[in-house]
Amino acid sequence: MAAAAPPAPPSSAPLRGVQPLRAGEGHSFFWRRLHSLSGIVPIGAFLVEHIVSNFEMLNGPMAYAKQVLFLNSLPLVRVLEWSFIFIPLAFHALYGVFIAVRGRSNVNVYPWAGNFGYLMQRVTGIIALLYIAYHVATQRFMGTNLPEHPGAAFAKVQHELANPVILAVYVIAMIATCWHFAYGIWLFAAKWGITPGTEARKKFGYVCGAIGTVLCVMGLTAIYAVVVKYPNAPEDVMPEVPAGVSRVAPVVAPRDLKAPLQVAVR
Amino acid sequence: MADQQTIKVSIKRQASPDAKASTETFEIPYRPNMNITSLLGEVALNPRTVSGVDSTPITYDSNCLEEICGSCAMLINGKAMMACSALVDKLLGAAEHGQKPDLSKTITLAPLSKFPVVRDLAVDRSVLFENLKKVKAWVPVDGSYDLGPGPRQVPQIQEQRYPLSNCISCTICMEVCPQFNDATGFVGAATIAQTKLFNMDPAGKVLKEERLRALAGDGGIQECGFAQNCVQACPKQLPLTEAISDIGRDVFVQQVKDFFTR
Repeated sequence: MAAAAPPAPPSSAPLRGVQPLRAGEGHSFFWRRLHSLSGIVPIGAFLVEHIVSNFEMLNGPMAYAKQVLFLNSLPLVRVLEWSFIFIPLAFHALYGVFIAVRGRSNVNVYPWAGNFGYLMQRVTGIIALLYIAYHVATQRFMGTNLPEHPGAAFAKVQHELANPVILAVYVIAMIATCWHFAYGIWLFAAKWGITPGTEARKKFGYVCGAIGTVLCVMGLTAIYAVVVKYPNAPEDVMPEVPAGVSRVAPVVAPRDLKAPLQVAVR
Repeated sequence: MADQQTIKVSIKRQASPDAKASTETFEIPYRPNMNITSLLGEVALNPRTVSGVDSTPITYDSNCLEEICGSCAMLINGKAMMACSALVDKLLGAAEHGQKPDLSKTITLAPLSKFPVVRDLAVDRSVLFENLKKVKAWVPVDGSYDLGPGPRQVPQIQEQRYPLSNCISCTICMEVCPQFNDATGFVGAATIAQTKLFNMDPAGKVLKEERLRALAGDGGIQECGFAQNCVQACPKQLPLTEAISDIGRDVFVQQVKDFFTR
C-alpha cells in the first residue's frame, strides 16, 4: 500500500514561468527524433546523390543527360521520389520551422561556438527551405519536364543560372545546405549518443567539416561547369528519346547518344 | 573620503512578483578583490542611489557565499553567473590578477530572465525541483524495516558519478539554454545530468526505466538543440553535454524496448 500511494501532489498554485517536464506525456520525442533521422536518411542521402549526380555536369551536357536518364529509369521512380524525397523533405522542413520558431537564440549574449552553430543550423535550414521550395517548383514542376526530356536538363539549369541574382541564390543555398547537412550529421551523432565524449565530438566535428566541404566544393564545381565551362549548351542533347514514363534505358541510350556526345565533348 | 575610489552598480529591481521593474544605480566604495556578494553588502550598508534617493537593500538569494549552495545565480553584466564567485576586478576589465581594473565602468545586475521574479534579484526556481521530482532524482532506500547495507559502488563508477554530483541546482544551465523557454518547456541540462547520476547509482538504477520514460515526455531530452551553452556556463564544470548525449541514447533505447515489449 505504501508503495502504491503517490506522494502528495505539488503545491496547488500552478508554477509561473517555464513549466516542468510533462513526464511520459505526448509524442514529441518520436517526432523530434524522426526529424533528426530524416535529415540523415533519406534527405541527407538524397543530397549526396544529387550533388554527386550534378558533379557529372563537369563532363558536359551529354554526360549529365545520361545521369538524369539513369535516375529516371529507376524502377518505381515516381514512388521513390515521393516517398524518399518529397514527403520526408516536407516533414523535415515544416517540423524544422516548428523547432526554429520555438527556440530563443541568445548568441548575442553568449557568443560561443556551439551557440553560433545552434543559430546557424536554424538560419541555414530556413535558407535551404526557401531555396528548395523555389528549386523544386521551377526545375521539377515548371518548364520543360525533365523526366520526359533528360537531354534538356543541362540547358534548363543553364538558362536558370544565366540570371546573376539566381546564380548568387544558388551559390548561397549550396553553401547553406551543405553546412546544414554537415552540422546536422554532427548534431545527430551528439544527440543520439553516438559521440558522447568531448574528444569524440571534436574529432567527429572535423569529419563532418570535411564531408560538408567536399560536398560544397562538388556542388559549386557543378555550378561552375554550367555557367562557365559549357556555355551555350544545346537545348536538348537527347531529342530522339521518346516521351513516356517507362523506357528501356540501357538499350536505347548508348546508340542514340553517340553522335551528340562528340559535339558536346569537343 | 574625498579620494576614496568608488564604483557604480546598476541594479534591476522589482518590489513584488507583479510589480513593475525599474533600475537603480548605486555608487559604492571600491576595495580590491571584491565579489558581487560583497558589492551587494556595500549597497545594503548604504542603500542610497546616485541621485540621492533613499532606497532599500537588494533582495537576493544567498547562503554559503562560496559557490556550493547554488542560490545566488543572477545576470551579471547580462550574463548568468554566481554572485559569490563573480569577481568585481575581473568584471571591470582586469582579466588577470594584478591588472588595473577600470573603475569608470558600471556593473549591471539583473535577476535571471527565465524564472519568475520574487523580488529584486531573487527568482523562483521551483521548476528545477519539480523536474527533479518528475525524473525521480533520488535513491529509493526508504522502507519500513532495515534494508541493510547498500550495494557496493566500484571506484570506476564513482569517478564517473562524482562530477555529476557537483551540481548545485543554480539553474544557470537552464538560463543560458536557448531551448529552455515557455514555448518548449524544456527540462534543462541539470535534470538530465542528475538522471545520469542516479541511473549510475548501484541502488538508484532500479528507477532507471522510469526516469528514461519520464525524459521522453513533452519538454524532455528531445528538446535539446545542442547549443552547448550549458556546459560553457556551468559554474561547477559538470560534463552536461556528455550526460545529455548518453541519456539521449538511453532514452531512445528505452523507447524502442518499450515499443516492442510493453
